[in-house]
Formats: sequence, structure tokens, C-alpha cells
Amino acid sequence: MDREAELKRLMLRGLDGDPGAWRMLLTQLRGALTPYFRRRLSGLEADAEDLVQDCLIAIHAKRATYDRSMAFTAWAYAIARYKLIDHFRRQGRRVDVPLEDAAVLTAEHSVEDGVVRRDLSKVLSILPMRQRRLIEDVRIGGFSLAEAAARNGCTEGAAKVSVHRSMKALSASVISHED
Amino acid sequence: MKTDDLIDALAAGLQPAPPARLNALLLACAAAASVAAVAILLGVRPALAEVLSSPTTWMKGLYTAGLAGAALWLSARAGRPGVDTRAPLAALAAVAGLAVFWGALELLMTPGSERLADWLGRTWTVCGRNILLVSAAAAVPTFLSARRLAPTRPAFSGFALGVATGGIAATAYGVLHCPESTAAFVATWYTIGIALTGVIGAVAGRFALRW
Repeated sequence: MDREAELKRLMLRGLDGDPGAWRMLLTQLRGALTPYFRRRLSGLEADAEDLVQDCLIAIHAKRATYDRSMAFTAWAYAIARYKLIDHFRRQGRRVDVPLEDAAVLTAEHSVEDGVVRRDLSKVLSILPMRQRRLIEDVRIGGFSLAEAAARNGCTEGAAKVSVHRSMKALSASVISHED
Repeated sequence: MKTDDLIDALAAGLQPAPPARLNALLLACAAAASVAAVAILLGVRPALAEVLSSPTTWMKGLYTAGLAGAALWLSARAGRPGVDTRAPLAALAAVAGLAVFWGALELLMTPGSERLADWLGRTWTVCGRNILLVSAAAAVPTFLSARRLAPTRPAFSGFALGVATGGIAATAYGVLHCPESTAAFVATWYTIGIALTGVIGAVAGRFALRW
């Protein structure tokens, strides 16, 4: 799925008060923000991690300023850039932070990540839709088994069995591809 | 705190979030504070009823209220990360440009001997100062009205809120106290006074609007 559309969908559900969607969004943003800050702080790991946390808190606290008709990435990028500039200012450094295309936030993962993402969806496509949703929620979305079961309308036991079977099927398919 | 724990903590107990706006109640407070400041510090014009029925008073008020409106629109948009601010900025420039054009036209149609008197009026030396004085009363509620927003350019947002403060204050001053009635006077001295509140707002915004 298109990343912008996916993040925006989560954002809209978060604005309506869905904690599961919000957790998923923050988790995904964390993945996007970490390389964004790391690269611009030239490897100061601890600072980058602090900034990621700062930024996630800001995104949470100021979520009401998101305009539903706008691109989500543009909003999130503007906040990340502001937090970066603020960080430099607090250190008394005058660093010019150029205004980039908002897509750097989600594209920062490097080419490799895009390939992984594409491979992942190709591998997952062998599963029936229901099984696929479950495994995405549990293994990618960061939901617990119980939450994922509730989201997909089955019991926790059934979800556990389904995820287990999916993993088996997936590893079998990957192995057969590698042969 | 670990980032995973932070995310869990933020997601737990999430409440629905209606869109953030400028706080209308605080803006009403800013207007009330301006009226009070004019009444207490400067005094209300005698024969107010007559003044209020004159169209020039309303044109004056319309100009400064127009500036305030455009500046509030700009503040609201500048307080939303990633939102384009060109339209309200153009509106603000258009309102000021229209007044300057009107003032210039009026001066051109005035006989040469009366032009200077028309332009300077009787109060040009105190107009800007009085607008700043009244603005001091309106500034705090106006800036507080933007607290829920997230300005990513604090100085720029401070400028917008400063102009809004000046516009609100000048409207109260112009309608209730100021005896001047020429367009040339208003377009020059009011505009200068409100531009000053914008500059002060920009400086204040760098500190007051960080989040």
C-alpha cells in the first residue's frame, strides 16, 4: 500500500481515539524518524534517540493541529524539522536546516528497505486475506495476539494457530524460492 | 524512558482530538481588554453616539478589523505544521495595500495647501504610541489564544499574532478615542503602529511560542 495513504489512515483513526492505530502510527513514525535524525546529527545516537522521543511526544500532544484534508507526511515532516532546528538552537549552534521535500521522512529508509518492503508483501501475498491481516497485525503492526484477534473478529486461540500456520507456510515458501 | 514504553504510554488512554483552533474566548478577552484600556487610560470621545453614526469611523474600524482578521487567519494557518501561508499573507497585504491606495488617492484630490494637515492630522505624534499602549493590554490573551497550535516558525507566528493584537487594539482606539477621520492619516499612522506591534510580536514569538 502507498505509505502516505497508510500513515494517513492510521492518523485519522488515531484522531478519532483508536489507541491501536495510534500505537501503530507512532511505531512506524519511530522507524522513519530514527534514520532522519541520525543522519542529520551525524551519528550522535543518544541525541537522535532523544529527538525521536521528543518528536513523538510533540506529534502526540499537537495531533489536533493536523488538518484532515492535508498530506500526513507534510505535517509530520514539518514537526520533525522544527524539532531538529529547536535542538540545534538549544545547543547554541546555528545550523541551516534546508527545507526538503516532506517525502524524505518516509523515504529515508534507503533503497534496501524499499526492497525488503516489496519482498515482504510479495511473500505475504501467498496467504489468504484473513491470515495475512492477522500476521501483519502481530508481526509488523506490533499488536498483541489478543488485540489482533479482536481486530479480526476471532478468538485468541484461533489467532495463535493461524499465525503459527502462516509462519510455517511463509518459511516453506521462502525456502522453496531459495532452492 | 525507552521509546517502546513511551509509545505504549502515549497510546494508552488516547482521547479523540477535535481540530485545534485559535481560542475564541481569549480573543474576545483581547477585544474587551482593548476597550477597557482605551476607556481607562485614554478616555472615550465625547458625543460618542454621534461619532458612531459617522461612516468615516466605521471605515477606520473596518480597516483595522480587516487587518486583525487577516492576521488571525495567518496565525491560525501558521500554527498548523506544513500548511501553506501564502493566501492569508496575500490577504493581509491586500488590506494594507487598499488602505494606502485609498489614502494616496484622497491626498491627490485634496488641495495642495491642505494636504499636510490632512496627512498629519492633530495626533500623528501620539497615534502609534497609543496603539502600542492599548496593544499591551490585548497582547497576552491574543498570544494565549494560539496555545493549542504548533507554530513551526515562532518568529513568523509571533509577527502574525502581533499584527492581530495591533489590529484589535487599533479598532478599539480608532472607534472610541481617536478624533482623526482622513484615509491618509489612518493608512499611514495606524499602519505604522500596527506594523510595530507585528515586529514586537515577532521578537516575542521567538521565545513565547516555542513548544
